[in-house]
Amino acid sequence: MALLWDTSLLLRKVKDLRCLTPRRHRVKEKWAATRPKLPPTRLAVHHFDATYSTQLGQLWPSVRLAMLSERKYGALLNNFSHNAVLAELKAQGCVDFISEREREVPSCLEEKSEEPSDVSMKSSDVDGEQLSLSPNIKCLVFPRGDVTRFKPARPDKNSLLGYYLMDAASLLPCLALDVQEGHSVLDLCAAPGGKTLALLQTQAIRFLCINDSSVSRTLRLRKVLHSYVPKQLLTNENLRITSFDGTKWGEIESNTFDRVLVDVPCTTDRHSLMEDDNNIFSKSRTGERRRLPQLQLELLLAGIQAACPGGEILYSTCTLSQNQNLSVVEQAIYQAREKDGIHLQVVDLRPLTRMFGNTFHFAPDLHLGEMVIPHLAANFGPIYMCKLKRLT
Amino acid sequence: MGTRVAVNQVLRLAVRNATISTLCPRQFGRYYRQSRWCCSSTNQATQHNQDLNPPSGIPVTELSLRSFIDMGFTESQAEQIYESLANVRRGDSAKHILPTLTALFVLGLNPSSVKKCLEKCPELYTTKEAQLQQRISNLRKMGLVEGSLQRVVAHYPRILTVPLKRVKNVVMFLKEKCLFTSQQVTDIIRDCPAVVLENLDQLEYKFQYVYFRMGVKQAEMVKCRLFRYSLDEVRCRHTFLERRGLYETPDKKGQTTIINPNLDSILNVDQDTFLAHVAQASAEEYDVFKRLAAREWQEEELQQGRTEPDSDDEDDDEDVDDDDDREAKSGYEKRRKK
Repeated sequence: MALLWDTSLLLRKVKDLRCLTPRRHRVKEKWAATRPKLPPTRLAVHHFDATYSTQLGQLWPSVRLAMLSERKYGALLNNFSHNAVLAELKAQGCVDFISEREREVPSCLEEKSEEPSDVSMKSSDVDGEQLSLSPNIKCLVFPRGDVTRFKPARPDKNSLLGYYLMDAASLLPCLALDVQEGHSVLDLCAAPGGKTLALLQTQAIRFLCINDSSVSRTLRLRKVLHSYVPKQLLTNENLRITSFDGTKWGEIESNTFDRVLVDVPCTTDRHSLMEDDNNIFSKSRTGERRRLPQLQLELLLAGIQAACPGGEILYSTCTLSQNQNLSVVEQAIYQAREKDGIHLQVVDLRPLTRMFGNTFHFAPDLHLGEMVIPHLAANFGPIYMCKLKRLT
Repeated sequence: MGTRVAVNQVLRLAVRNATISTLCPRQFGRYYRQSRWCCSSTNQATQHNQDLNPPSGIPVTELSLRSFIDMGFTESQAEQIYESLANVRRGDSAKHILPTLTALFVLGLNPSSVKKCLEKCPELYTTKEAQLQQRISNLRKMGLVEGSLQRVVAHYPRILTVPLKRVKNVVMFLKEKCLFTSQQVTDIIRDCPAVVLENLDQLEYKFQYVYFRMGVKQAEMVKCRLFRYSLDEVRCRHTFLERRGLYETPDKKGQTTIINPNLDSILNVDQDTFLAHVAQASAEEYDVFKRLAAREWQEEELQQGRTEPDSDDEDDDEDVDDDDDREAKSGYEKRRKK
């Protein structure tokens, strides 16, 4: 009797053994409740691999390699500081890529040059027929393929720093904005201040409005300006720094500015691939990331409304993604016409690619705007820009 | 005189014949003793020849050009060996050279190979014969049979100057830490004999890099002769492919979403073929990449050497623009290994 009891108990125990039950009868007690925890940089890379491999095709592996490697900086020279910075850097081999840009000779002038007449061609005239750039901006970069690093800038006797290190491609939007003497300019998303600083270097602006939606970033921008620009040029007569919501600008000040720079927040591709901190691809910021194109559209529309008729708006981002670049501009042009009756003309930026093709790699065949793509020998960018002119 | 010359010639012929066919040690020993007898007799006659006297006053009886020629070297070879031996400063090297040469001949190498070994590795002049025999027998025990053994010694004579303990350490490391089979270890020693002189930490890092980061198993490592290449070469080519998106580290189940190029096509090709077919990139890119990567790895090593962690700047941004107004150094240090 005891023996029977024992075997039945034994059999029941045996039935519970997992290895003896066939897989189809096993009960899975625990299912994964969450997705695998990948760092945001990995999520970013997977996302980019999926989208950009079709968008860029054969170019994507080189771009991917460049974005995952150390970036290349340019030194924006501070016209307000006086030290021997220029000579020092040139001795190391740096070149001012803006003054070294390709000067094109239009075909009509080529025929004249065969005659022995003195045709003085000022390079500014030649450029002026195609595309005029903001003046007085100088930026040094090391030559193509040279990976030397810049040393941190040192303060001069007035405690102003000699140069500001930034991505050299970020200067292209400032150059393309074409700030002329006496213009009033609005910088809608200014922080941390590199492009603002470049605009101030032109010394041609009558009044500069600087805005960023975040208070903390605006403080950082102030610090930058104080380190580079003398106090007398930072008065209320010359500039105004605000922390308003940029999308509401159309209601605050419309039809006011000659030039508007809209450097919108974006997925900052390069930063998203390299840094886990503040990464927009982290799970908690998925909603924010999805709403980005809408935010960018609203900011661009506000910028368009803030510009005066005949004024020019420059839209720029630091991402390669189509739906943050071309789609936003196309939508904005459409909505401005439909809702506000504003007619916009796209200004052709192709001369820019010809001028700076020796320094940067540009994406070929973009039907709207121009884009600098990273390449290991010229590891600048990514930067997208598109220029609009307000006709009405 | 005439008889002496005749005996020498006979001996030379005998030695040459003996080396062509398989050599019987006992036979050779007899020839060797006879040549020594000849040497001593000739030496007494030629002692007046100043050029042949070694400067350090070693007993001349064991050394002379004749003895080398009798072993089968040509005159020019013998002269070169004699000169390089004279340059070796150690007093007892003279005693070792003949047994060493004997051991090398016994191994089955012909005179020109022996001479090449000596040229490649002058330390052989000062190696004791007993150690040499020990090391050779250790290699035999490991599985390097005739044929392989000669090839290894001919291509990499330094292996005979490596202490026994070191070779055993490397073998034990490969078997126990890296889990290679004995046959695989023998193949490694045969194909990449320089592995015995490599730093064990470097070796371990290289193995772990290829095993975990590249997902390559032992059999393939041996087949592709991984240990012939330095860590930097392997790392450079692999990271180049990885960053281009052409190589993926397998997940814990060993799966990848793309097909990784195999180790053979990455390492065993010259740079141009690698760039054209595997990486599909330009030479300019690879050149810039090599420099950037070398700097990255150097800084990584320095960082690991430091005990305190790096202090990052306080970042109170929600979003960081492409503009980076931090000082250059910390901007450059913002890098993650991919």
